[in-house]
Amino acid sequence: MPPLTTALGVDSREVVALRADQVARAIEHVAPTHVLWIPSSTLKSVIDLVEARARDGAWISLPLTREEEGIGIASGLLFGGARPLLIIQDNGIGNAITALTTLPQPYHLPVVMLVSQRGGLNEYNSMIHGLGERVEGILHAAGIRTFLLDERVPVDRWATSIVGACEHAEMTHRPVAVLLNLLY
Amino acid sequence: MTTLPPTELTRLEALATIAQAFPTEPVVVALGTMVREMLLVAGRRANHLHVLDAMGLVPAITLGVAMSPHAAAHARVVGIEGDGGLLMGLSSIATIGAARPENLILVILDNGTYAATGGQRTAAPHLDLAGMARACGFQTHDVRTAAGLAVAIIDAKARPGPWLLRVAIGPVNQPAPYFLPDPVELAIDFRRYLATPVPPQPDVAPA
Repeated sequence: MPPLTTALGVDSREVVALRADQVARAIEHVAPTHVLWIPSSTLKSVIDLVEARARDGAWISLPLTREEEGIGIASGLLFGGARPLLIIQDNGIGNAITALTTLPQPYHLPVVMLVSQRGGLNEYNSMIHGLGERVEGILHAAGIRTFLLDERVPVDRWATSIVGACEHAEMTHRPVAVLLNLLY
Repeated sequence: MTTLPPTELTRLEALATIAQAFPTEPVVVALGTMVREMLLVAGRRANHLHVLDAMGLVPAITLGVAMSPHAAAHARVVGIEGDGGLLMGLSSIATIGAARPENLILVILDNGTYAATGGQRTAAPHLDLAGMARACGFQTHDVRTAAGLAVAIIDAKARPGPWLLRVAIGPVNQPAPYFLPDPVELAIDFRRYLATPVPPQPDVAPA
């Protein structure tokens, strides 16, 4: 059965593609030196672009084994004057919390995480809701600043919001998570 | 696995050797007894990053520093981790192996225990840590004496890495005071140090 929104005439794939394009546009603008990632299905086109642009020499692209490893690598890169960007799934935020609260937060490092968020309206996988819907609350409990992008943010503001979140991390000298819900 | 005789090398001696061998290179030091004993033998050094918590992340942090633009001023970037810490973040040796940073040296001080929490056993005595690293593309040495460590460091400076030096140490902890600074001070000092160009160390020629 297709998602209800598709049945009502909303093309979810088209919506996801439009938003993913804006995420890609923001990454190009931010021009990170290193992109560290664990893929997700909704950000597949973004990871494809990250890999393709890495082959052009735009940045270094590095697949991670675990989210906390990404926090560690990004922190090391920031110590050494790089401008890293992390792309992870909300399902991996549980893995990242200890690393976030013991490294970039107390050492004041502006680690930026683009977190693909699932769960809630339009989610088609019943297993995703469990953690996905609670990720914002978990990050807030850990004192991590979040910015949430979903259908309440017009798609033409997604790129500027992501760029703004990167600037916010720099300005506050703290890690920031941008939650990207491409399905709702 | 064959049982090897008890080692004579202490953590303090190993740390002193490492600090002396890398006087200007960035050195990332793992939490607990490692940081406290490093402070005993080397004091607060501008090129040392003291990781006060974040157990298991020293290999990942060292990889980040090694890949960063400011690492170019240094021949090597060094991470010092225990066996418990390595095992906690073990998958990072896969990521490092794939990234192949030639300037990275990971020194594992392996006493087979979680020293900071009372000497409980780790899985390390049943494992071949250097062998696992080799399988991930590291160059390795497996040493258990001060002389062996010194020779391993000379080799790791002379030939491209990534390197993992597994150093068997004894279970003795040196009494050392707590180190309880604001981590921001440590971060600012280390960032500033890396941002300041330093004259490259003369290469240590192999014997």
